[in-house]
Amino acid sequence: MSADKIVVSGFRHFFQSDSGRVQATGEIDVTIREGEVVTLVGPSGCGKTTLLKAIAGFITPSEGQILCDGKPVRGPGRERGVVFQELAILPWRTVRKNIAHGLEIARVPKAERDRTVERLIGLMSLNGFEDRYPHELSGGMRQRVAVARTWAADPDVILMDEPFAAVDAMTRLTLQEELGRLCATTHKTVFFITHSVEEAVFLGDRVLVMTKRPGTIKATLDVPRHGKGGRDWDSFTGDPEMRAISEQVMHLVHAERV
Amino acid sequence: MRNGCDAMTRHLRDLRVLLPFAVLIAIWWGLKDGFGISDKLLVAPPLVWSAFGTLITRGILAEYASTSLSMIGIATLISFVVGVPLGFAVGTNRYAARALEGFLRYLQGISGIAWLPLAILWFGFTHTTTLAIVIYTLIVPIIFNTMTGVRAIPENYVLALRSLGASRLRIVTDVYFPGALPSIVVGTRLGMGYGWRALIASEMLVRQGGLGDLIFGARTFSQIDRIMVGMIAIGTLYIVVDRLLVQPVESMTLARWGVLRK
Repeated sequence: MSADKIVVSGFRHFFQSDSGRVQATGEIDVTIREGEVVTLVGPSGCGKTTLLKAIAGFITPSEGQILCDGKPVRGPGRERGVVFQELAILPWRTVRKNIAHGLEIARVPKAERDRTVERLIGLMSLNGFEDRYPHELSGGMRQRVAVARTWAADPDVILMDEPFAAVDAMTRLTLQEELGRLCATTHKTVFFITHSVEEAVFLGDRVLVMTKRPGTIKATLDVPRHGKGGRDWDSFTGDPEMRAISEQVMHLVHAERV
Repeated sequence: MRNGCDAMTRHLRDLRVLLPFAVLIAIWWGLKDGFGISDKLLVAPPLVWSAFGTLITRGILAEYASTSLSMIGIATLISFVVGVPLGFAVGTNRYAARALEGFLRYLQGISGIAWLPLAILWFGFTHTTTLAIVIYTLIVPIIFNTMTGVRAIPENYVLALRSLGASRLRIVTDVYFPGALPSIVVGTRLGMGYGWRALIASEMLVRQGGLGDLIFGARTFSQIDRIMVGMIAIGTLYIVVDRLLVQPVESMTLARWGVLRK
């Protein structure tokens, strides 16, 4: 069994709003092991983004603590990369410059930077778009760039906040397959938030289900991955085991309808 | 053949912008001749044209115009260098932005010209007075637009960069500056428009050169032709500076990024 990468214990969060203190999440305990892809599915407003933001270090938990490699999280850091739902790559940088941004910040030598960027452009099927600006790309392409930028910076943990929610359904299938392959080949620790049951089961080694607001973790389901890769929609939909897990998750989520 | 036709229609279309000017000149000339208005009130276009020739050949127009242009140039430079960092400072601080937004709007209500009495008492009838008025007029829209530009930048841009390990300075150079640039350019453009008007007005009272001085001086001797040449120069130079200098900068840098806000 691999080491614990992220440990969230006794986490609870409150927001200050005009009408007083609002509870964003219930008490949450989560452990994410190294190299594991954990997906979290829950109804909107349950506090899943709050949890991700706390792990990213964008917000300080009201209660409890978050450890990354045994050290408490205090603010964002390059060991924890984040892929947002949208509006995160910079419109004034070309695809290449966006992907290279993290490496630029880390002062990685140009030759090495170019090699990494080239590799990710290949992996994310962005060939031919290297010198385009984001506004010239489709929504799906933009998310590919966002994913590539985070992977290029080579963080230990990758936090993804519904990265494909704003993409059209057809493109989403392709992006999910690409991400599945990327996860399988790079062995990154990934925490992925979604409100899609199928997406959660398709991508996760483990699926967490959250209750409605103030959300707590309601259930944890392991998704056994047979063979290498095997993460394509054809084999997924044809696999009775996967279908059974999806149904199980669906029932759990269904009960939390708001 | 086709291309030739297209080019011709394009030229004709470009000429449309001149049509209102032609109509205005026609009305002016018609009123003058039709009602037999005295030369003491209005002169005919040919007289203005010949006054234009005189002012050009004697170098008078060039001298007064260059004073105005250098004043607006200096004022723009100073306002930009001071106003942009101020706008950043205010825009990146939520509390400062809330506190100052109303104040800046209030200041926009007190036009530069309203400061002229005080400025004259402080600096006398000098270029300093005019410069102070023009900088005041120019800098408020620059600060205001820089501030709004910074505040309109999606939070995710900043969060994503912080997760990539970016320092505060890095976020300013890589996110805030390019992100606010469209607004900064818009603010500068607006400011230069307002500043140009304030400049002419101030020159009329300060009387130390510039096109405002030229037309106000001409009034003393009822040189209507000179006044009109001056007015035409004021309008023309504004268009030249705006269309040939500021607008190209705007489209060059910003249209390419697809972030041009209108």
